[in-house]
Amino acid sequence: MSKRRPYVRSMDGWWKKNPFYVEYMIHEGTALFVAAYAIVLTVGLVCLGQGEAAWNGWLEAMQSPLSIIFHLVLLVAIAYHAFTWFKLFPLTMPPIVLNGKKMEPCAIVGAGWTAGVVAALALFVIVWGIAA
Amino acid sequence: MEIYKADVVIVGGGGSGLRAAIAVAESDPSLKIALVSKVYPMRSHTVAAEGGAAGVKRADDSLDYHFHDTVGGGDWLCEQDVVEYFVEQAPIELTRLEHWGCPWSRAADGHVNVRPFGGMKIQRTWFAADKSGFHILHTLFQTSIKYPSIKRFDEYFCIDLLEEDGRCQGVVAIEMGTGEFTMIEGKAVILATGGAGRVFRESTLGGIVTGDGMALAFRHGVALRDMEFMQYHPTCMPITGLLFTEACRGEGGYLVNKDGYRYLQDYGLGPLQDKPKNKYMELGPRDRLSQAFWHEQQKGRTIEHPVFGSVVHLDLRHLGEAYLHERLPLIYEMSETFMGIDPAKDPVPVRPGIHYTMGGVRVDGKCETSLSGLYAIGECASVGIHGANRLGSNSLTELLVFGRLAGDEAAKRAKSLPPGDSASLLKQAQEAEQRVLALKTKTGGTERMSTIRKEMVKSMEDGCGIYRLEETMQKTCDKLGELRERFRNISLDDKSDVWNTDWLYTIELDYQLDVAQAMAHSAINRKESRGAHQRLDGPDGAYTQRDDVNYLKHSDAYYVPGSAPRIDYGDVKITKSPPAARAYGAAGEKADQERNASHV
Amino acid sequence: MSEQKIIEIEVLRYLPESDQAPHSEVYKVPFTDDMSVLQGVQYIKDNFDGSLTFRWSCRMAICGSCGMMINGVPKLSCETFIRDYYPRRISVEALDNFPIEKDLVVDLSGFIEKLEAIQPYIIPKEPRTVEQGEYIQTPAQFAEYIQYTSCINCMLCYAACPHTGLDPDFVGPGAMALLHRYNMDSRDGGQAQRMELAASEDGVFVCGATGYCSEVCPKKVDPGNAVNINKINAAKDYFLRFLSPKGGAK
Repeated sequence: MSKRRPYVRSMDGWWKKNPFYVEYMIHEGTALFVAAYAIVLTVGLVCLGQGEAAWNGWLEAMQSPLSIIFHLVLLVAIAYHAFTWFKLFPLTMPPIVLNGKKMEPCAIVGAGWTAGVVAALALFVIVWGIAA
Repeated sequence: MEIYKADVVIVGGGGSGLRAAIAVAESDPSLKIALVSKVYPMRSHTVAAEGGAAGVKRADDSLDYHFHDTVGGGDWLCEQDVVEYFVEQAPIELTRLEHWGCPWSRAADGHVNVRPFGGMKIQRTWFAADKSGFHILHTLFQTSIKYPSIKRFDEYFCIDLLEEDGRCQGVVAIEMGTGEFTMIEGKAVILATGGAGRVFRESTLGGIVTGDGMALAFRHGVALRDMEFMQYHPTCMPITGLLFTEACRGEGGYLVNKDGYRYLQDYGLGPLQDKPKNKYMELGPRDRLSQAFWHEQQKGRTIEHPVFGSVVHLDLRHLGEAYLHERLPLIYEMSETFMGIDPAKDPVPVRPGIHYTMGGVRVDGKCETSLSGLYAIGECASVGIHGANRLGSNSLTELLVFGRLAGDEAAKRAKSLPPGDSASLLKQAQEAEQRVLALKTKTGGTERMSTIRKEMVKSMEDGCGIYRLEETMQKTCDKLGELRERFRNISLDDKSDVWNTDWLYTIELDYQLDVAQAMAHSAINRKESRGAHQRLDGPDGAYTQRDDVNYLKHSDAYYVPGSAPRIDYGDVKITKSPPAARAYGAAGEKADQERNASHV
Repeated sequence: MSEQKIIEIEVLRYLPESDQAPHSEVYKVPFTDDMSVLQGVQYIKDNFDGSLTFRWSCRMAICGSCGMMINGVPKLSCETFIRDYYPRRISVEALDNFPIEKDLVVDLSGFIEKLEAIQPYIIPKEPRTVEQGEYIQTPAQFAEYIQYTSCINCMLCYAACPHTGLDPDFVGPGAMALLHRYNMDSRDGGQAQRMELAASEDGVFVCGATGYCSEVCPKKVDPGNAVNINKINAAKDYFLRFLSPKGGAK
C-alpha cells in the first residue's frame, strides 16, 4: 500500500493572498460599473422614445445630487477599469511586429491610451458640434 | 515488489537516454521501452550545456579535420576508429535534431549557423543561442512523447542491475514518490546516467550528477576507464562554479589577468589575436586554459577578490550589449542575477571549475560493456572519443550519435533473445531491496551523511585538481578509504518511505565514494602528464611529461569489494593519427602544415 | 568572506506519514550575501533536519526543479537571494495550485499529462529526409516561435494561475505556450490537430486573463500571451467553420 497522501490546499479566499489578484478582482468587479452605466444610458434612450415628458424626467433624475454622486463613483470605477484594461493589452493581443522588432508592452499600452483618448475627444467634439 | 517486463531498459532520461529510447522506438514499435530516470527527463543535466554541438557543416571543413582536432585535443588517448565513426555521424544526427524542431540559431540566409569553439580548426559548433543543451534536451523529451512504446518511469531511482547467466537482464528501482521498489526486466539495459563531477566541490554541475550508472556497472565487474581525466572548465563563476560557456570566447571574449594582460599568449597559445582565431589564444583547449590559470595564480598575477578568491577576468565588453543579448542571453542573465555584473559594462570574474568526466564505463565501439546486454552512453560511458581531454561541443553530439547507436544495437539484441527467468531475477531484486532498506532503517550510527559528502568533495579537490602530486593524491586515496569505513556508520534523520531524499542522497553518496576511489587511484597510478591529468612530480620531474612508451594506455579501474579498486591498463586504438606533439597557436599551425606536407 | 548574518527561514512542512496537514517550522540559518534561498534550504537539510524535502538540481535557473512560493510569490529558489529579504523573515512553501507530496515537493503528474496531450513535437508540414538537409528558417520565421521555446517547465506560471487552482483540468499557461510554440514553427503543420484541445472545455477559455503567469515567468516566455492569442485563434476557427464550405479547420 502506497503511503502517498498528497495534500490539496484550499482555494478559499485565494484572491486576497496577492495584490496582483486583488487588482484583478477589482478589474473584473469594475466591469459591473461599466454595465451599470450602459443601463443608465439605455434607460435614457427608452425615455427619449417615450416622449418629451419622460425624457425631461430622465434628465432631471440625472441632475439629482444622488445621481451626480453615483456618476462620480462610476467615473472612478470605469477609469480604473479602463486603466487596468489597457494594461492587459500586451497580454491579450498577438505580438505586433514593426520593422522586424516586436513592439514593447509599454508602447502597446501607450498606443491603446492614445487611441482611447483620441476617440473620446472626437466623440466629445462631434457631440459638442451637434449640441451647438 | 512491482514487476514490469520491458524489452529495453534505459537508465537516465537525459540527452543520450532519450535519443536511445527514440532509436529503439523507431527501429521497432513493438519493442517495449522502459525509460527510468531519477528526475523528470527535462531536469537532466544535459539541460545546462550551453555552447553547442560539433558537427562538420561548412564547405571549408572536413570530417578529417574534425577527427584530427578531436584526437589531438584528447592527447592521443582516443579510440580512433570510434572517433572516425563519430565525426561521420555527427552532421547526420544534428540535422535529424533540426527536423525534430531543435531551434538551432540561424544565419541570415535561414541555414543553421555554426560558431567557433576551443581546439576546433574550423567553426563547426551548432548552437541554439547559449542554451544548446536546454534546447536539445527539450526537443528530445518532447519528441519522445510521440512514441507510445516508450514508457517512462519518472522519478524512479535505480539501485541495482540484475545479472543472470552472464547477461544483464534488468534493473531494480525505487519509486521516489512512495519509497516502493520495482523490478524492471529487459533483454538489454542501457546506462545513460551522466557524469560524476559532483564528487568534487566547485563544479558546474547539478546536484544529480553523482555517477550512479558508473558505480552500478563498476560493482558488476565492468571497468571504469580513464577516470583520472576530469575536465576543469576554465571559465566558471567563483564559489558556485556555474558555467560561463566557452562560446563567450568563441564569440570573441578575452581572458585577462590583474594587469589587464591576455596571459594565454604566454602559454603556447599565441601570438595575440584581435578577433577569435580557431585554436589560438582563448580558443585553445580547456585543459590548457585551466592550466594557464593555475600558473598565473602561482605567479601572483590573478586578481584576488575578497569574496571570490583568485580569479581572472572574462572580458566581453567589446562585443556590445545587443550582440551579447543575441548570442549569449543566458550568460548575460546569469552575470546580472548571480553576480550583479552587467557584462556589457564590466568584466566578469571567473576561475576554473570541474565540468566533465572524460572517463566512464568502458564500452566498445557499439556501446556495449564487458557485461553482455549492458550498454553505456553519454557522459557515463567511455566510448573513447574524448581521450585525455574533451573538446567543447563534442559531448552534446556524442549523446546523439551514441544514443542512436546504442538504441539500434539494444533493439537488435532484444529482438533476438527470449525473455529471462523472472523468478531468479526477482530473488536478486529482493536482495538488493533489503540491502538498500538497511541503509535507511539502521539506527545508532553517529555519522551525518552531509559531513561525509563534504569531506569527500574537499579531498577530491585537494588531491585531483588541475595539477597533481603523489603525496596529495595519496592523502585523497587514504581519505576516501576512511570515508568508505565511516559511511557504514551513517544514521539518517528521515526514516520514512515517501520522498525520502535523505535516503536517496545516501545511496548516491555510496555511488560517489566508489567512483571517487576509481578516479583517485587511476590518477595516482598514471605516472605521466597527459591532457587533463597533469603532474608536478616524479624523479627529475619525469611525470610532468607525456610518456607514450609506458602510458599511451587506457587505465581500467576494477571494483574490489571492501577495498581500493584494482587499476589495469588497456591498449589505445590508433588508425591514422600517430601520437605527435600537441600544439596550439602558431606552433600548432606549423605542426599542421608539416603533417599535411608529409602526407602529400 | 563577507560577514555572516542569520536569517529566519519559515518552511511549510508536510510529512505525509505523520502529519494530517502542513505546519510551519522556523529555522535560523547563517548566510552570506552570495547565498540563494535554495542554499538556505540546503543548509537546513544538511545541518538541522535531513528529512526536509525539496527538488533541485542545476542551481542556474535552467532545469526548472526548484520552484517554491517565497514570501507568497512563485520563484526559482536558486536565483532568489537571501540578502534581498534580510532582515525580514523568509517564508518558503510548496508551489501553489499543486497537491503537496511532501514539504516543498508537489505532484507534477497533472502537468506531465497536459504536456503529453498538446502533441509537443513537430508534425511535419513537408517531411524531409536527412539527405535533403535542414529546413530553411528565415529570421522572421524564427522570431515567430523562439520566445515560446524558452519554457523550462518550472511550474511557476501554474502556481501563479488561480484558474488552474480552481479548475485543475485547465491545460494552463506553460503547456499552452508550448502548444503555441509548435503551431508557430514554420516546420510544423499540426496546428489544426492541436487546436482541438486548445478550444476544448479545458482549453484557453478557462483563462480569466489574470496575467500573473507572465509576470512570474523566469524566462520571459509570456505564457499568458500564448493562451490569449489562442483564444483569438480558437474563436476564428469557430466562426470560420460556418463560413467555409468544407467546415474549415477541424
